[in-house]
Amino acid sequence: MAWRIGIDIGGTFTDVALVDEATGRLGIAKVLTTPADFGQGVIDGITRGLHENAIDAPDVALLSHATTVVTNALLEKKGARAGFVATRGFRDILELRRSSRPDLYDLFQDGPGVLVPRRHRFEITERIDAQGQVVTALAEDELPPLIAAIKAAGLQTVAVSFLFSFLNDAHERRVGEALRAALPDVGVFLSCEVLPEIREFERASTTAVCAYVGPLLAGYLDRLSQATAALGLPALHVMGSSGGVFDIAEGLRMPAMAVESGPAAGVIAASLAGRQLDRPNLISFDMGGTTAKASVIVGGEVAVTAEYEVGGAANAKRWMHGTGHPIRVPVIDLAEVSAGGGSIAWVDPGGALKVGPHSAGAAPGPAAYGAGGTRPTVTDADVILGHLDRDALLGGALQIDLPAAERALATVADPFGLSVPDIAARIVEVVNSNMAQALRIVSVERGLDPQEFSLIAFGGAGPVHAVALAEELQIPEVIIPPAPGAFSALGLVATDLKRDYARTLYADLGKVEAGRVADAFAAMEAAGTAMLEAAQVPTERRVLLRQADVRYRRQAYELTLPVAEGAVTRATLDALAAAFHARHEQTYGHANPAEAVQLVNLRLTAVGKLPDLTLAQRHEPGSERLRTREVWFPAAGFVATPVHWRNGLRPGSVLQGPAVIEAFDSTTVVLPGWQARIDEMGYIRLTRT
Amino acid sequence: MTTRQTDPARFEVVKNALYAAAEEMKIVLAKTAYSPLLKVAGDYSCGIFDTQGNMVAQGPDLPIHLGSMPDAVRAVVRAFPDVSPGDVFIHNDPYDGGSHLPDVNVVAPAFHAGRLLGFGCVRAHWPDIGSATPGSYGAVTEIYGEGLRLPPIRLYRDGRPDPGIEAIIFANVRTPTERLGDLRAQVAANWRAAQRMAELATKYGTDTLLQIMQEVLDYSETMMRAALRALPDGTAEFTDIFDGDGVISPGETEDETFRVKLRITKAGDTIVADFAGSDPAVAGPMNAPLTVTASGVFCALKMIADPKSLIPPNSGCWRPVTVTAPPGSVVNAQHPSPVVYANHEMSHRVADMVMAALFAITPRTVMAGSQGTSAVITFGGTDYRTGERFVSYESVKGGFGARPTKDGINAVASTVSNMSNTPIEILEMSFPLRVEEYSLVPDSGGAGTFRGGLGVRRVWRVLERQSHAAVCCERTVTPPFGLAGGNPGAPANLELIAPNGNARKLTSKGGFLAPAGSLVVVEAPGSGGYGPPANRDKVALSEDLLDGYVTLAEARRLYGFDAG
Repeated sequence: MAWRIGIDIGGTFTDVALVDEATGRLGIAKVLTTPADFGQGVIDGITRGLHENAIDAPDVALLSHATTVVTNALLEKKGARAGFVATRGFRDILELRRSSRPDLYDLFQDGPGVLVPRRHRFEITERIDAQGQVVTALAEDELPPLIAAIKAAGLQTVAVSFLFSFLNDAHERRVGEALRAALPDVGVFLSCEVLPEIREFERASTTAVCAYVGPLLAGYLDRLSQATAALGLPALHVMGSSGGVFDIAEGLRMPAMAVESGPAAGVIAASLAGRQLDRPNLISFDMGGTTAKASVIVGGEVAVTAEYEVGGAANAKRWMHGTGHPIRVPVIDLAEVSAGGGSIAWVDPGGALKVGPHSAGAAPGPAAYGAGGTRPTVTDADVILGHLDRDALLGGALQIDLPAAERALATVADPFGLSVPDIAARIVEVVNSNMAQALRIVSVERGLDPQEFSLIAFGGAGPVHAVALAEELQIPEVIIPPAPGAFSALGLVATDLKRDYARTLYADLGKVEAGRVADAFAAMEAAGTAMLEAAQVPTERRVLLRQADVRYRRQAYELTLPVAEGAVTRATLDALAAAFHARHEQTYGHANPAEAVQLVNLRLTAVGKLPDLTLAQRHEPGSERLRTREVWFPAAGFVATPVHWRNGLRPGSVLQGPAVIEAFDSTTVVLPGWQARIDEMGYIRLTRT
Repeated sequence: MTTRQTDPARFEVVKNALYAAAEEMKIVLAKTAYSPLLKVAGDYSCGIFDTQGNMVAQGPDLPIHLGSMPDAVRAVVRAFPDVSPGDVFIHNDPYDGGSHLPDVNVVAPAFHAGRLLGFGCVRAHWPDIGSATPGSYGAVTEIYGEGLRLPPIRLYRDGRPDPGIEAIIFANVRTPTERLGDLRAQVAANWRAAQRMAELATKYGTDTLLQIMQEVLDYSETMMRAALRALPDGTAEFTDIFDGDGVISPGETEDETFRVKLRITKAGDTIVADFAGSDPAVAGPMNAPLTVTASGVFCALKMIADPKSLIPPNSGCWRPVTVTAPPGSVVNAQHPSPVVYANHEMSHRVADMVMAALFAITPRTVMAGSQGTSAVITFGGTDYRTGERFVSYESVKGGFGARPTKDGINAVASTVSNMSNTPIEILEMSFPLRVEEYSLVPDSGGAGTFRGGLGVRRVWRVLERQSHAAVCCERTVTPPFGLAGGNPGAPANLELIAPNGNARKLTSKGGFLAPAGSLVVVEAPGSGGYGPPANRDKVALSEDLLDGYVTLAEARRLYGFDAG
């Protein structure tokens, strides 16, 4: 037997998912997260998971982990004492950024933070021009004083980023070599190694992020892998923000890859479910206590963005940059909104009903939890409407305080002269519209028609709201996977070994010599193959995926398109240009085939495929349970509605809405006009009747 | 408390959808535009308008366009009672709804089942709109010298451009290929808006959509009135001195300064900003159409009255605000005064003046003087690498004013502006220029209990061939003011350094020839401090010294710093 174990650290719980590769049998262990030392919760969870499922350590084939260490280090400003070395005249580029402010009208906004304070930013004389030619030679005589200054400042790491090093990296490499030789204890990150791409600020920022989080990530992974090795488990892998896992050595070369490692996992699990159910077009929807996240899978491919900011204010308005530190690494494209079960409803001075962004969090939590919460939350509204059980949740472990929920909702019902159930219905409508916005960002805004997608919903609150969202966006099918409450942890073991490489090749696509493109891909393919070799991935499981960023010559933003396998010829490049014109027309409504297409970056993703898993929800004969409660639905009002126990439903069962399906970790609401079918693997499949 | 007809949830959903559509317009524009000014620097605004031309939703764009965008759409509404699906209109006339000639408005109607729903409008700054100077920033004395002037005209009919009109436009601007790419991007953004509005009408019904658009305006008005009521009543005045207009008139030896006077009366839920007593029109392009002046007032009021940014910016916000200025004064330009500099320079300075005036009434919700300028620099000529003409337009950002509880912010756009810089690597790939320095200017933040933000120094070398350059800057003469005992920030400084090393100061506005190999230096101003320097926290001051934001000499002189 071969088991895969995924460990996902959440705000409240650390989820451990254990999956039997052969049968798809699932085990879930939930333990409390241990913020003081996350590793403790991880070890507790693994130990419990192994014990409860009677698994011996030698039977574990893959151990995969989503870590919040990098994100937390940035949010809590607890990274390394890092330095920055720039071309003379440019040490301030990390602080000068792009010069726009994140909020237009907030008089008291804070300036964006800088990872490297000015006192630790250094310059060295050198300059390379826009053609990659050396204009000013590197001043070798400035190296000894630079080394002395870094030593004197007691820096743990240094980021080096020179202008145009993506065209000519000789100066950066020479400085890197000198620093590494003279300062063996200082981690040196070169922008040409981390991210050889155009745009000096974004490249420097990515390199600085690596320098800032590198030592912390190294220490954490070192401690954790020692502990897991002591349990007799295989080498620890970490999930990257683009959804693949990599080994520790690879992670430490490029620590920025490990940001947003958790949210990526849910999307990966969704894509696995899509493969299993033959649903290549999916919108994934993950709703927890404080936020909801949406992402899109098209033709089986997870959507990935090349631009991201870490350590800033979470915001669905991705265009309002400036609060965090930009990194140019592939990150699974998620739209996140502050909308979850704990989101608080309120009335603004203009008389509008708002929900969020504030959340009641884990403490005090929704008023209905009876732990002292007095503000009305989405969960309170769900309880009043009967979408959630009015007596108890978590299989009876959590008693509901119904009068407390009513009191809380009355505080927002009164200003409108509405009843408590009426305001509850409106709160649900507003929060659904906020979440629909996130779904729209990843679909409609990209020119994708939601009617061609299925919505896969998970997270504790996702299945409660999913069908209403599908109505709002006219999505024809909703899928509730097995174990929706721990679905992200499942994603960690459903993924492949993966590393992304990029190289700038700035040229006219119509004129560039095919040999130059071939050489650039060959260099990246060599690096990717070496990585897969080191990870002992057998040849038949290796995949190298080529992509190119292209645009019209005078544009600034590229579209990323696949590049055909095999020898790179003129025909390959012409096909790429044709594909670009078509994609431009599709995305923006116009294209100009007469115009030159500019090649900007070449990308390679090296993948070590793992055998696909089959996920299944176990049917437990004998656990059938049928009750009835009053549940509110739009247009119908309160209706006596059958409430089923999920694990008791036999595969093939069909339920007509209105209905509610309860499970230990979440509740699925089936609206009138919809029906739910339990498929052979235990997925709940909801469609319009 | 609510008088709205529409259900609160439906209202919130549709309002959000309208703002999302305005934001989506911005994404379409940035991703498809050709000039660095639009694609990476973001010098444009997008909005959704009702059938009368009121702005219902503005994207997260430039506050500078708050006051004047509605006038741009109203001009189209006036000129074309026969709007049809597939129409696109274009215009830039500052004397008919425009702001200055480089800001080109593209307006397209949205329809559903034959009924007009409203308009999308994209105002984008074209790096060149003709005239004698590349970049169209010459110090001329009539609007006729400022470039191609377009009254509201129909550019597209049935979804197709009128080739005759396009031919006239592209014969009159430099780098027409780039301009065409920008224009197509503006049209694409508008069509996205029209599509989104039509979808909303399909889903909720045309009557409901039109009703909610009016309610969104009322909502912002209600919110703004509530915010104004929360401020104390009173009347306050502030007069400031401006650098000049770029023109040395007969009998003068240097560009003469001029004065703008502001009197603000806050009473209950209304506010009146009156500019009576300001100097008459100047010869050069520092004359502001009243809507430009109003944008400066609106932006500052939004920051003061709504510091947490809760009120959706639209025309409804400004119903409680009245802006008046004598016609023919420098803040209420009349035809044919030239206007190109005033668009950002006057609105920047006016926004700061509102802060200074309201300090007397509500001192804890204003900030000290910010950079007060867009510090514009243009280069134009022929690229030695390709033989092609080029025009480059950049804006250098300085300090954001110190607040009653916080330092200012270094090197970030303030008040009416929110443009980004152009990445050096993109700039040098696009134009025959090399940036030799981009840095913070030590000691440029005004000393104070809360220090002003630092200004920025950017230095360009002109490569291989001479370049026709122009600058447009304020605050080279009078520095950004401090408040409550804080010191002013450092003023702007502009220099041209010849290849032989001889440097000369440039006047604040106007064109000049930059020889091959010369250096052009722009130092954007810092911002003023808030509160007496002596009260500055000792730890904060030592941190400033360690980081070199403040030098030891200035720490001793201004803060009485004692190293012992």
